[in-house]
Amino acid sequence: MITSSILLAITTFAYLLCALLYLAGVIFRRRSILLWGSVTGAAALAIQMAGIILRWWESYQMGYGHAPLSNLYESLVFAAWAIMLIYLIMEHRTKQRALGMFPALFAFLAMAYASFSTGVSSKIQPLLPALKSNWLIAHVVTCFIGYAAFAVSFGISILYITSKSKPETGESAHSLLPHPRQLDEFNYQMVLFGFLWLSLGIITGSVWADLAWGAYWSWDPKETWSLITWLIYAALLHARTMKGWRGSRVAWLSIIGFGCVLFTYFGVNFLLGGLHSYANMK
Amino acid sequence: MQEKGFWRGLYQKLASPKLTVAIFLVLAAASVVGTLMPQGLGVAELQGHYGQRAIWFITTFGLNDLYHTGWFRLLLLSLCANLVVCTVERLPRTLKIYRRREEPLDPQKLAKYSLNRQFTSKFSRDETEARLTGIISEEFSALQMLDEDGHAAGVVEKGRWSPLMVYVVHLSVLLVLCGALIGSMFGFKGFMNILEGEATNEVMLEGSDRSMNLPFQVRCDKFDVSYYDNGMPREFRSDLTLIHDGKEVLKRELRVNDPLTYDGITFYQASYGAMLRDVEVELADRESGAVRRLIIPFREWVNIPGTKDRAQILRFDEDFRGLGPVMVMIISRAGGEPVGARILIDRDFHGNRVENYNVRVLRATRIPYTGLQVKQDPGVWLVWLGFAAMLVGIGLIYYVSHRKLWVWAAADAGKGTTNVVIAGRANKNEISFERDFGRLCDRLQAELRQEKGEGKP
Repeated sequence: MITSSILLAITTFAYLLCALLYLAGVIFRRRSILLWGSVTGAAALAIQMAGIILRWWESYQMGYGHAPLSNLYESLVFAAWAIMLIYLIMEHRTKQRALGMFPALFAFLAMAYASFSTGVSSKIQPLLPALKSNWLIAHVVTCFIGYAAFAVSFGISILYITSKSKPETGESAHSLLPHPRQLDEFNYQMVLFGFLWLSLGIITGSVWADLAWGAYWSWDPKETWSLITWLIYAALLHARTMKGWRGSRVAWLSIIGFGCVLFTYFGVNFLLGGLHSYANMK
Repeated sequence: MQEKGFWRGLYQKLASPKLTVAIFLVLAAASVVGTLMPQGLGVAELQGHYGQRAIWFITTFGLNDLYHTGWFRLLLLSLCANLVVCTVERLPRTLKIYRRREEPLDPQKLAKYSLNRQFTSKFSRDETEARLTGIISEEFSALQMLDEDGHAAGVVEKGRWSPLMVYVVHLSVLLVLCGALIGSMFGFKGFMNILEGEATNEVMLEGSDRSMNLPFQVRCDKFDVSYYDNGMPREFRSDLTLIHDGKEVLKRELRVNDPLTYDGITFYQASYGAMLRDVEVELADRESGAVRRLIIPFREWVNIPGTKDRAQILRFDEDFRGLGPVMVMIISRAGGEPVGARILIDRDFHGNRVENYNVRVLRATRIPYTGLQVKQDPGVWLVWLGFAAMLVGIGLIYYVSHRKLWVWAAADAGKGTTNVVIAGRANKNEISFERDFGRLCDRLQAELRQEKGEGKP
């Protein structure tokens, strides 16, 4: 009998394979390998989607009945899915296949952490009264689409910085990686997209908090760190449009911003606590 | 004069984009400090963790309540000032674009645009104009011809409103902050604990020792917790009745995530607990050997029969340092200060004694209470409006860019051909615009070079 855990286990390894294919394609400069990377990524995405839907159904079978977005395990799985989805849409729109290794690697790492860490329970659990709301879906989905876009932007930034630091040789003309100017433009688009969804995520969280606790903003560590992340990316967008920053400086700000995303996601749960501490519940 | 110079300098500082980025980063850094340092600790609690100097530093800069300090508010205020000044500086320039009539096109200037294409059309001027209009309208948007002598000139643009969206986002930030300010000035936040079966209108205000009275009473008819089969709580529910001027005006169940609003005041299911109603105790008088049973309601004096002593239960704790439920019982004797002690309710403890009585608790009856968060926030609608404006603004900034094309065509006298200059500009997403521009120009060139009756070259 196929269960969601089997599907999600397959997904984990499919993402690893996908990341390796993308990496091999860039190293050996073979477009055909990159194409296989895309195919693997799309297949993994579909299997994972089936796994998530199945887990949703399973929670109804257990009598709890809620969207699989309620704890650390489920959010990691969704994060992996969102990263890959956003990356593949970008790949389709920009016709660039060579940027896939980082998104696929992040998707794999998220899945691997969710599956193998002893600190993350994959058990389907009922919802606490505070989480019983349709805002849960809106809040988690929007936040994680934002986080996923920032993860993709982080990958682009690393590629930008490494490709910039390499001395210009004749070889780079044959490289499958896009031109740095294009990378910079993709990066900006991705950050702006992520910023839109992060704003949506903060706002849905805020509206929900007002319904649940009667305070749309209470400077809880998670809230505050999401604001810090928002401020860093806002600084990036203003530096780029108003002060004409391009390239490496924007890439570094995006890397710092993603550091804030990771801290908002993991650091706050493990180090600071607060209203969102149930997200850490085993 | 000097003062004028100061204000002018300040204004120019506030208008600089450098300051915007700096304020963002300082706000972010300050917020980080606020999350690393536990908030809301009093000096007494600080003393357990920090040295004298650190405490001086923390209290001087208000790091234990950072987000409500003057300097943090000053930062937010400077963000607002920066927003307002930048808008005042830039909005008129942006608006000019919408008011101004198109200036006559100058082909030499167009040729200097970073995106431009010049080519010769083999058709006459009128024919070229007709074809240009047709193709551009099909690929881009309807070309508007300008009224110019001798040559054809036209402009076409898309996403005209996109440059205004950034002001919408800026306005939205101001709206949210204004809403928050109005809420904190004219609203209140508080807490009420209502015993099952009782009614009250007293709200304990948050962050102070004061309380206030609502113009109506809230009665808790019942409080109930239900559990999942694995022991996790499933639902907290209070059955509430609101009583205004002696009449029951509203009856409703209150659950988490499902607040109740009446008369502009909103109630949230926030917590619950139990309070002591009364205890039945056995008092053994060590001096006379008499053993007496009596029932003492919580916080009420009760005479101990056969004596002139009075007893009261002053405090009750559901769990005191892992010893289970504990109450503080005091006994008042004529001519002396009341004397009290902690009594362990569930254990027969040799220290369960007050004055000359050994105390044994036979029964302790609790009543559940519901804890409600209560709030009135007249500014919240401004916050919601700001949120909506922010999403619309950022969304349109992402999805719509302002793209503009200039087209100029003039007959090359004598040859019967027409010279064409096209230029383009986009305020964002230049690479994709570059691609679209290139494709459009390629098509125009291909179609205009073709001669009548002649096949493709």
